Amino acid sequence: MARIIVVTSGKGGVGKTTSSAAIGLGLALKGHKVVLIDFDIGLRNLDLIMGCERRVVYDFVNVINGEATLNQALIKDKRVSSLSILPASQTRDKDALNKENVGKVLEELGQSFDFIVCDSPAGIEAGAMMALYYADEAIVTTNPEVSSVRDSDRILGMLASRSRRAELGLDPIKEHLLLTRYSPKRVEEGEMLSVEDVEDILSIPLIGVIPESQAVLKASNAGEPVILDTESDAGQAYQDVIERLLGEAVEFRFLNVEKKSILSRLFGG
Amino acid sequence: MANASIEFKGSSFTLSVLHLRTSNLADIRADLVKKVSQAPDFFYLVPLVVSIEKLESPVDYHAVKTLIEEFNFIFVGFTGSVAKEQRKLIREQGFSFINTAKTNSTKINTSEKTAIADKSVVTETKTIAVPPQCNLYTDKVHRGQIRSGQQIYAKDQNLVVIGSVSAGAEVIADGNIHVYGSLRGRAIAGAKGHHKAQIYCQNLEAELVSINGNYWLSESMEQNWGSPVYFHLTDSELTSSKLI
Repeated sequence: MARIIVVTSGKGGVGKTTSSAAIGLGLALKGHKVVLIDFDIGLRNLDLIMGCERRVVYDFVNVINGEATLNQALIKDKRVSSLSILPASQTRDKDALNKENVGKVLEELGQSFDFIVCDSPAGIEAGAMMALYYADEAIVTTNPEVSSVRDSDRILGMLASRSRRAELGLDPIKEHLLLTRYSPKRVEEGEMLSVEDVEDILSIPLIGVIPESQAVLKASNAGEPVILDTESDAGQAYQDVIERLLGEAVEFRFLNVEKKSILSRLFGG
Repeated sequence: MANASIEFKGSSFTLSVLHLRTSNLADIRADLVKKVSQAPDFFYLVPLVVSIEKLESPVDYHAVKTLIEEFNFIFVGFTGSVAKEQRKLIREQGFSFINTAKTNSTKINTSEKTAIADKSVVTETKTIAVPPQCNLYTDKVHRGQIRSGQQIYAKDQNLVVIGSVSAGAEVIADGNIHVYGSLRGRAIAGAKGHHKAQIYCQNLEAELVSINGNYWLSESMEQNWGSPVYFHLTDSELTSSKLI
C-alpha cells in the first residue's frame, strides 16, 4: 500500500506547493512511483509549479464525478516517468469532494503508486480537512514567523483529532516539521525565530530546513521544481529532505551564516 | 416559524412547596404567622406551590389561595399525588395543578398536624449538591501537547497535562491544574467555584490564568515569566509563587 503524505500548514503562502512539487519529484528521481494530488480545488497551482498546465484535460473532480477515469486525468511528468500529477479543478468548487469518493480515488491510486503526496490548500476548512483525512504522514510546512507557527500548531491539533487515523484509533499520523524560508542571518540578528524556537513550540521532529532562496521564484516561473536546481541551496536542502524521508540520517545544512574567509571576501565568491 | 417573536422552551426551576397537613384554615393561618414572622423578607413574594397530598379531608381551594396571598406569597398552583378526579376538580375551579414526577423533600415531622413550608424540587431536576473539596477530586491525566484551538475540561476532577499547552489552547478544571511543560495558553482552575484550586506549571508563558473567576492576563505575570510557577488565591487575590 502506498505511503500517503499530506503537505499542509494552516497558514497560506508558506511553501506547501513548492515543497510538494520538490518532494514529489525528488522521490520519483530516486526511482519510486509517485503521484502528486492538488487538493486546492478552485485555486489550483500545482500544475503550474510542475510545468504541466498546458496538458490538463481532466481533473480530480472529473474523476470523482465519474466523468473521466484516473488514467485519463493523470498527467505523466515529462522529466521522470514514475511521477504523475492529478490536477485540481479550476472551475468547480470543493463541495464536490467528500470522504467516501476521495477515499475511493486514493485506494485506486494506492495500487499503482508507492507514494501519494497530497498538496493541501491553506486554512482549516473542508479542503484542508479532506487533504489530511487519509494521511499516514504529514509534512507541516512552517515559516519561522509567529503567525505561521501558531497556524501550524492548529493544524497539528487537527491532524491529531480529525484524521481517519484519529477517528479509528489507529497509530497516529507521523508528523514532520519542514521549516521554509529560513534566514540564518536574520536569526542571528534576533529578527527571526530560530529552529530551536519553532521546535520548542511545535514539538515535532524536524525533517528539513529550506533556506530563503531566490531559486524558488525562478523555479516556479519556469515550471521546474526547485529540487532540479542542484546548484541552489533550496534545491540541495530539498534533496536532504528526500533522504530523510527515505530513512537516511542527514546533517542539517544551511542553518548557520556562511563564514566567508578573508580571501573569498577579498576576491569575491 | 421564521423570525418568531416568541419561543416556548421547557425549563426547570426549584420551587418551594407548602405541604398542608390539615384542612383547618385557622390552624394553617396560625402556623403561617409563626413561620413567616421568623423571616418575613425571606418569604416575601416567593412563588409557592401548595401540596394537598397529606390532606384527609377536602379543603376550600380558593380560601387556601387567598390565605397564602395574605402572607405575600405568589400562588403558583396545587400539587401532590392525588386522584385524577381531584386534579380535574382543581383545574375546573381555575387553578393550575402541577404534576410531580419526583419530589426530593427533606424529612418532615409527620406527627405534627401543622403546615410546614418545605423547600422541595417540584420538577424532575437533580438537587444541586455542594461541590466536594478539591482534595477529594481524582486526576484527569492528558499525555501530549494541547494544541492551539483545543480545549480540555476536567469536569469534577483535577487536570494533569504531561506536555505543553500551546498559545491559543485552553485547559479548564473544576479542581487543580498541573502542567508538566510550558503553559502558553489559558488555564482556568476552580471552574465551579473552588477558591482553593491551584495552578502549577514548569514554564510560565500563559495568556491567561484564572482561579475561581479571579484572573490575570500575561501582563500581570512579568515577575515570574518563564519560570516554574504555581498560582493560588490568598483572600480572593490571585498570587503567584516560584516553584523552585
